[in-house]
Amino acid sequence: MKVTYKWIKDFVDVNATPEDIANRLTDAGMEVEEIIYQNEHLHDVVVGKILKIEKHPQADKLVVCQVDIGKEITQIITAATNVFEGAVVPVSLPGADLVNGIKIQKAKMRGVESCGMFCSGEELGIDENYYEGAGVNGILILPNDLKIGQAIDKALMLDDVVFDINITPNRADCMSIIGIAREVCALYGLEMKKVNFSYDIDVYAKDTVRDYVNVEVNTPNCLRYMAAAITNLKIERSPLWMRAKLNAVGIKPINTMVDITNYVLIEMGQPLHAFDQELIGGRKINVRQAKIGEEIEVLNHNTYKLDESVMVIADQEKPMVIAGVIGGTNSCINDNTKTCVLEGAVFDLKSIRITSRKIGVRTDSSARYAKGVNVANAELGIVRALHFVSKIGCGKVVRGMIDISSVKNEERKIEVSVDLINDILGLQIDSKIMVKLLNNLGIKTVCYGKKLQCIIPPYREDLENDYDIAEEVIRLYGYSVYDNMQYDLFKNAKVTEGEHHPRLLMERKFRNALVERGFYENVSYTLVPEESPKKLLLDDIRANIIKIANPISEDIACMRTSLAHSLFSNIAYNISVGNRTMKIFECGRVYLTEELPLVKLPNEINMLGLAVCDEGYDFYILKGVVESLLSKTSATYKLERSKQPFLHPGISADIIIGDKVIGSFGKIHPQVAKNYDIPNNVFYAELNDDFLIELEPVKRVFKNISKYPIVERDLAVVVDEKVTAEEMLSAIKSSCGNLYYNASLFDVYRSASVGENKKSLAFKIKLVDMNKTLTDEEVNKVMQKILKSFNYRFGAVLR
Amino acid sequence: MLSQDLANIKEEVLESIEKANDLKELNEIRVRVFGKTGLITNISKGMRDVLPEDRPKVGALINEVKTAIECKLQEKIELLENIELNKKLEEEKIDITEPSKDSELGALHPITDVIDRLTDICVDMGFSVVEGPEIETDYYNFEAMNIPKNHPSRDMQDTLFITEDILLRSQTSAVQAREMEKRKPPFKIVCPGKTYRNDNDATHSPVFHQMEGLVVDENISMADLKAMLTILMKRLYGEDTKIRFRPSFFPFTEPSIEVDVSCPSCHGKGCSLCKGTGMLELLGAGIVNPKVLEMSGIDSKKYRGFAFGFGLDRTSMILNSINNIKNLYRNDIRFLEQMKK
Repeated sequence: MKVTYKWIKDFVDVNATPEDIANRLTDAGMEVEEIIYQNEHLHDVVVGKILKIEKHPQADKLVVCQVDIGKEITQIITAATNVFEGAVVPVSLPGADLVNGIKIQKAKMRGVESCGMFCSGEELGIDENYYEGAGVNGILILPNDLKIGQAIDKALMLDDVVFDINITPNRADCMSIIGIAREVCALYGLEMKKVNFSYDIDVYAKDTVRDYVNVEVNTPNCLRYMAAAITNLKIERSPLWMRAKLNAVGIKPINTMVDITNYVLIEMGQPLHAFDQELIGGRKINVRQAKIGEEIEVLNHNTYKLDESVMVIADQEKPMVIAGVIGGTNSCINDNTKTCVLEGAVFDLKSIRITSRKIGVRTDSSARYAKGVNVANAELGIVRALHFVSKIGCGKVVRGMIDISSVKNEERKIEVSVDLINDILGLQIDSKIMVKLLNNLGIKTVCYGKKLQCIIPPYREDLENDYDIAEEVIRLYGYSVYDNMQYDLFKNAKVTEGEHHPRLLMERKFRNALVERGFYENVSYTLVPEESPKKLLLDDIRANIIKIANPISEDIACMRTSLAHSLFSNIAYNISVGNRTMKIFECGRVYLTEELPLVKLPNEINMLGLAVCDEGYDFYILKGVVESLLSKTSATYKLERSKQPFLHPGISADIIIGDKVIGSFGKIHPQVAKNYDIPNNVFYAELNDDFLIELEPVKRVFKNISKYPIVERDLAVVVDEKVTAEEMLSAIKSSCGNLYYNASLFDVYRSASVGENKKSLAFKIKLVDMNKTLTDEEVNKVMQKILKSFNYRFGAVLR
Repeated sequence: MLSQDLANIKEEVLESIEKANDLKELNEIRVRVFGKTGLITNISKGMRDVLPEDRPKVGALINEVKTAIECKLQEKIELLENIELNKKLEEEKIDITEPSKDSELGALHPITDVIDRLTDICVDMGFSVVEGPEIETDYYNFEAMNIPKNHPSRDMQDTLFITEDILLRSQTSAVQAREMEKRKPPFKIVCPGKTYRNDNDATHSPVFHQMEGLVVDENISMADLKAMLTILMKRLYGEDTKIRFRPSFFPFTEPSIEVDVSCPSCHGKGCSLCKGTGMLELLGAGIVNPKVLEMSGIDSKKYRGFAFGFGLDRTSMILNSINNIKNLYRNDIRFLEQMKK
């Protein structure tokens, strides 16, 4: 919201500097984001009068002018062709620094000195809408009555200071000059000046507003509808003071009537609409919801098809305005309008928000209605507009006004507690100070004992209770009171015991373990492209990808269903920038649903995923990493051949607890590697953290250890490739009976001498007896038994 | 005669020990003196020819020479061994700047690192760490936070929707009502997590991280909020950190404030990070709006609370001098490996 220093001063006699006002507003919650000095690039530019024009002795296209700039006569050379002796023009003098970047200094042009430059409108930052002549291709020729030598910013009313203020959604009342002025009043403890609402009516005229228009309101979304009529309209350029203010806040001046409505919109925060009375069919306005199929061409020259959700201002035949949003071309005022009907209405903010969103149009009017315009405001706005009609003399105001209102909006009285306000704030502010601060804000407040009775003005719909009043008190009292406050933490609160989130703690262990093994943690967008399940060859629940209705772009349009997508994409990205080997992991969620479109919230599952891209890596190194992670949980698990579609079917495993797959690991499926454009030798693992954290904690029971020594034997056998190490180790265990201590596979060897589809496996077997030292004979017997079992079950032969 | 011989032997042997250059030479001397036909051995054999009354004296003399030689020998051996050891140690010297083996380290991501730090501090202060769904209902994300449908405060954030009533949470505040429904006051919670908005430019990421804090108790005030946030910010940014309140608006707090933190880069003097202001706008906070308590079934006449929320991406960027938010999500190894130091 843009407001100007001078415009505020129309309502408050404040003498503070613009900077001071900006600081105080910011400190009170009206954040001034920018202060713009209109005349920043207008210094050293004055009104001058060309006294004499002579040809340049050395150049055909240049002329030498003698110019009166008030305190002296100076010489300026110009190539402009629209200047003439006696012309009053803007003259930029040495030192000027124009908006287009031109810096003026004394210079010789073809041997003749020039002490400045005449300016065009563009060089002053103005156009034809703002000032007559500013749009011509040449020098801006000014009216003869301007004082010669006067600074141009004063002469053209370009010397205001503009504040760009961020208005929070609770303060719709500050979407206006008067609203900000009220804040300024409160901040400086000043009185508001009386706003001039007076206008002239021809007391002898017999006609009244109803002779020009009648109004019917047929929708509950219209809270108040007021209409006035103006005859003998003069549509022309509005006065400079009005154009100056509109221009300062970024609104293009157009003509008297349009400018008045815009002026009131900015000043009072009240949107107005001016109809050409002759174009209102049947002279009858009907405020209603649109009918399906109705169409309207509006001022942005688009035609919209309407439906019942859209409120319109219609006449007997057609919609004339999309209510609160934008006017139609069929009935708006134009250069030939003689009689105008002026509308000042208040609509339900929800209705305007829905319409504005639906047709995708946002205007200064809809922006205000969407934040909420107070019902009382319609009258202030329309009367203020009539005041300007009278003041400018651009029309005759007809007696009477139509006012149809379905809602009453009056002052409310609330009672709040001084003690509660101080308890909320943690301060001890004296009730007298509170009363003063609130009264300054226009909230008439009296104190009875420990209670404040506040009369809330209609425009402060946001104030309802002690908390709201506490905020008003503290923002005016000043939050700086907290700056150096010493206060013991939770002095009056109960002690609570802090607890970490158990899964986050487990993940912290995982993360630290992986970091020590050289892994880098990733945090990826959980938003992924729709084709990501297809790239991973997923055909289960993870193919049900949740789509965002209003995505930013295709590549972040859906919720991920597997961490594999994120990690494979990250590998691909890294390879593309030249990082060829990496170990990465991520703890994050996947979003799974049985049912699409979503009718209830999906399952958000916390996963750990890790991926390695490294020539020298293999399945068994990865297995070690996975085992080390699982060792940090209480999981006892078994491995089965993996069913993960994106993993190599022969070089991957699923981790099973009970009947649940709680994780998988292995080499990437070559097709998936191709889909992501990453090497075949990528390894991936994932664990379901939510499942792991739910496991019962481990209960350890230590066994006694034998007093007698362990005997160690090695055994190497040749078996078929298809025999697994796990099967053989379990055969060893059962053959050893209660002499078993442990057994491990320490070597795997394949060669031509071993045979095709065969492998040689070497086991280390440890035996121990609880009651005696084992003899060679006893050990040999066990070894024979193992060998026999190997041979019988796996066809293994001693190597 | 014999004593003269002994004196000569002693002198000659001690001298050759002195001159010896290595252990081998010393060993030869030992054999020459104490061997089967060694000088001292021979003299000892000659004791038979000594008069019995002289024998003790001569024996003592022999012993003395023997001891002197042995001592000297031992001394020299130790000396040479020491030299040899030092030489060996010198030869074994390695280049300590060669890379370490088998201990290649990775690194945490800057965002999770900051989550760890913040949650540790908050748990110390009595907060419990909680989580909530990222795909959330309109009710928890907005309505329960006093942001009704079609209300102007909906304009404050551009939300990503999945259906009309299901959306990607635009603020971790969404977890407030869920926790208030579950818990009985007094309680203190913090919730770190991912949040989403329809915002993607140089300074905004559509996926980002926030941490929400909520305290509900009987006598909570803005002063508690000030004290708590001061401790949190000091422990994060350093002991000399100061915080400042400014008025603001959030539908779920009343009064609402923005919290400025003295710039950790220039300590309030003004620099490029804080654009010369000396302060950074880092948190939103306030007293929980009593309407929000009531909607979640907490008696607002009895209980009061404060809430705060802030961006973790920005926090990690400030702590680590990261200047581009997009780098946080690209997962470029060249970026991530800078977390090692």
